[in-house]
Order: sequence, then C-alpha cells, then structure tokens
Amino acid sequence: MVSILVAGLVSGSIYALIASGLSLVWGALGVFNFAHGVLLMMGAYVAWWVSAPGGLGLGLLVGILACIAFLILAGGLLYALLVRPWIGTANAELTVIMTTIAGAMFLENAALYLFGGRLKVLDQVVSGTVSIGGTAMQAQNLLVIVLAPLLLGALALFLKLSKYGLAIRAIAQNREAAQLLGIRIERMYLATFAVSAVLAGVAGVMIGGLFNLSPGMGSDPLLRAFLVVVFGGLGSLPGTIVAAYLIGLIEAGSSYYIGIYWTPVVLFAVLITVLLVRPNGLLGRPA
Amino acid sequence: MAAIAAAVVLPQIFTSGVSQNLAVVALLFAVVASNWDLTLGYAGIFNFAHVAFFGIAGYVAAIATIHLGLPVWWDILLAVAVIAMLSGVTAALALRLRGIYVALVTFAFVQLCVALIVSQKDWTGGAVGLVGVPDLEIAGGPLGADPKNYVYLSAGLLLASTFFLRKLVASDFGLSLIALRDNEAYAVARGVSAMRQRVLAMVASSLFTAAAGAVYAHYLIVASPDVFSFSLTTLILSMTLLGGTATIFGPILGAIALTVVTEQLAGFGVIRFMIIAVLIVLTLRFLPGGIWSVGTHWVGRKASKSRRSKETGSLPQ
Repeated sequence: MVSILVAGLVSGSIYALIASGLSLVWGALGVFNFAHGVLLMMGAYVAWWVSAPGGLGLGLLVGILACIAFLILAGGLLYALLVRPWIGTANAELTVIMTTIAGAMFLENAALYLFGGRLKVLDQVVSGTVSIGGTAMQAQNLLVIVLAPLLLGALALFLKLSKYGLAIRAIAQNREAAQLLGIRIERMYLATFAVSAVLAGVAGVMIGGLFNLSPGMGSDPLLRAFLVVVFGGLGSLPGTIVAAYLIGLIEAGSSYYIGIYWTPVVLFAVLITVLLVRPNGLLGRPA
Repeated sequence: MAAIAAAVVLPQIFTSGVSQNLAVVALLFAVVASNWDLTLGYAGIFNFAHVAFFGIAGYVAAIATIHLGLPVWWDILLAVAVIAMLSGVTAALALRLRGIYVALVTFAFVQLCVALIVSQKDWTGGAVGLVGVPDLEIAGGPLGADPKNYVYLSAGLLLASTFFLRKLVASDFGLSLIALRDNEAYAVARGVSAMRQRVLAMVASSLFTAAAGAVYAHYLIVASPDVFSFSLTTLILSMTLLGGTATIFGPILGAIALTVVTEQLAGFGVIRFMIIAVLIVLTLRFLPGGIWSVGTHWVGRKASKSRRSKETGSLPQ
C-alpha cells in the first residue's frame, strides 16, 4: 500500500512539474507547446553529457546547472523560432501545434544523431534507500516527492507576488490592457517559455535518475501531462497540480490492482467521465 | 484534376519495384491526408484521431481474416463499418469539448489505442504486429502477384475518395460545415445542428481512411503498431498542412510530394526527419496556404472569385 502511494506521488510530482510548464505557457500565450516533452529529454541529456564520465565528467551539480542554463536558452530559442512568428495570426493556436511538433521531430532526431539510440544512465541526485514506515524506498524518490511541491510552491508565489508574475498574469487576462500599462509583452513571453522549459528540464533530471535516458523519453510523460492539463483545466495552476497527483495515484493504483496494460484505459475512462461532467476540467475556467 | 490524372498515369510511369512501392504508399497516404482535411480544413475540427482510424482499420482487417476467417475484400467492408462506428462514438464524446481540448483528447485517444493494442498480444500480436494478413484476390489469384495491381487499387481508392470528398464539400452538408467553421453562432441561429454535422463530418472522413488502412495492411501483409507512431501522425498531418487545408487536392499533392521527398532523403538517415521538420516550419511561415495555394495563385488572375477565396481560407478558425 505504501509503495503504491510512493509510486503515485513520484509520478504525480513529475507530471505536476511538466504539466505546470505547459499550463503556464497556455495561460500566458494561448498556445500549446508540443515540444515540451523534448525539452525534458534535452535537459536530461545535457545533464548527462556534462556530468557523466562518458561525456565531460564534471559531476552532477555542474550537470544540473548546465541543464538549467541550456534550457533557459532552448526555451527562448524555441519561442523565437517556432512561436513568435505566428503569435497574433488568425490560427496561431493550431499552427503552433504544428510548428512545435516539427520542432519536437527535429530535436528528437538531433538527439538520436548526436547521442545514438543506446540507453544512457544519469546519476541519481541522492543515492541509497530510506526506510519510512517500514517500507524501503529510493532516496531519489523521496527527493522528487519533496522537491516538486517546493518548486511548484515557489512558482505559485512567483506568479502571485513578484512583478514578473503579476505581469504574466495580467497578460493572460487581457493582452491589450497589459500592453497599455507598459508591460513588455515580448519579454514576458520569452520569460514564460524559459521558466516552463526549466521546469521540464528539472523533470527530465528526475526521470533520468529513475529510469534510462533515450531520445523518446519525453513523449510518455508529455502524454500524461496532456491528460493532466485537460483533466485539471487548462491555465489553472491549482487545477493542474491537483490533477497531476490524482492521475499519478490513479495510475499507480490501477496498474497494481487491474494490471499495467489496462492503466491507459482506466485513465482515459476517468478523463472522459470528468470532461462529460465538467467540459473545462476540474478547476478550469470556461473558454 | 491534375492530381487525379497523375494518379491514373502513375502506374505507367513507375515500373520498378521501389517506385511502385512508393506510389502505393503515396496514394494511400493521400487518401488519409485528404480525408483528414475534411474535418481539419472544412469542418475546423483539430482532431488527432485520424491516424488511429487508419491503423485500427488495418487491425480489424487483419483480425477478421486471420482469426475469424472472413474472406478477403469483405474484411475491408467490415473495417469501414467498425471505424465508422468508432469515429462516431469518439466524435460524439470529443466534440463536447472545444478547440485545444479536442486536439489533446484525441491525441491521448490515439496513444491509449496503441497501449491497448500492444497489450492484447493474443489478438494483435503485441509490439511485433499481426503478421500474415492474406493477400487480396482477384479472379482466384493473389493481387500481389503483379505489384502494379496495388498501384491501380490505391489509385482507384484515391479517385473514389476524391470524388466523394469533392461532392461532399460542394453539397449543402459541406456548406453547413464551412458555415459552422466560419461563424458558429450565426450558423446555429440559421438552424444548423453543430454537433450532428460535426459528428457526421468525422464519420464521413473516416470511411475512406478505414478502407485505405485495410488495404495498407493487406499490401504490407502485416498490421503493425508502427502505424500509430508520432512520426507517422506528424508526417500525414504535414501532408495535409503543407498541401493546403480546405482544398482536398492540396493534401493529395502534399502526400505525393512528401512521400517522394522522404524517399529521396532516405540516404540521410535520421537527418532526413530534421530536414523535413525544417521544411514544415518554413512552409508554415512563408506559405501559410500550403503548396496548393501557389498553384491557385498562378491561375488566380483568371480564376473566379470563389477560387481566390479558397486561398485565403486556409486553416480553420
């Protein structure tokens, strides 16, 4: 029972990190980043390449710092190349899905080209096992469970209290009015993308420490993050976080009790049921 | 018209085995891409389930012939019937949602279909796929004896599908879809049922897609989960968008162009997907109406107004 709970909380934490990045970008820009999973993959690979003996061998701390720096850059570039040209056009919402899919295709194959298809192993941030309530668990799991809420709490405070956060929320509510108040939209968009990319990168490092690295490693978490944002309500950070943990726990519970292959069916059934009752998700605003 | 003529002439031009294979794949993908355009371009529904209809139809045909012993050809009809029902149910559920939610839910739907198919090893062959789909027969002999036959079959399917789609979009039904896309409130006020027309559009667009999926499985003699892969979804969606949405002929042109380009770049290995990705972004940036819009722009000076309005109405609102 405890192990199911742990598994659910670990995946819930990771989904929350990924999905809140997606939700943040949707809230501010009104576009959806299908390359988000690839950012996660790139974060893990950069951390691996800088830290592991197979790459530069500089240790994990440098690897994580490099990963964060790289993703700020990558998020900004992604925005400038694949999103900005279409912002404000009639079909931005749909065109950007296509451009970011193309971006994902590019980057996934670039990773395949640079690093090959063989699985890589990233060092865990903390090693060993911890015993809680008589159940042994990997220390990395505990770290994920503790770190994710801290990061998301920091994000929520940032959005609630800081000048930048207020600006981002102002843009999400009314772009023209925000512009009239002198908020520099372009810079805010860039910052939103960078923050969202860093969240994906942190998730990538976490997943990299628990599973193996592969160029396609981002697609499965991204799919779950899609379910999470739809389930919780797009653009609602509290909804996203609640939904992430719910999905993580449902997934862990159903793969234990019903079988791993039926888990997707259970998830989808739950999702459809919720959407039939609340078409905008658990805590979403009407479109 | 040029695209149809090309489809008829293709078997004569492509005589080698490699190019015949290329022609079959291009023609079948053209069916999928142009039918996708009915929902994407004309009805303005951004659904991702279309490739799943193509893939599942292959599985229905394979299971019907291998496990249930249904005679070939009939399994194609069965696949079309099953997919029509499936698309109706999916659409009725997904279309309660709006915009981006439809895209996300149908995208998730495809992935979950794959998970389910891969898990039911006894029926579907798991990750390997269901091997040994029997060849189609004509006059008692296997159709694949002469590979040219599959080129003709695919070309015939594309012709029938294109005729069906062109008739459909020009009909009252097609006009009501465009009206719903461009101004839903107004169309509904005029008595058009948004839900019913959109579900019907999804079902209509799934019919030939399913037939193409079943033929594809017979042609490859295997129904494989690869069909659902993200890269194939991306590729076929690119065909639709690069060709030009809300044109029907555009996606056909896009399918043929992209299949040929992909084949030409085969020697580049994984880099070819990077090149295609760049091509997609550049086209979306500089040719938002797709390749087809270039052609219509050329003849645009002489063409009627209706033709010109097609260029501008590129993507769904």
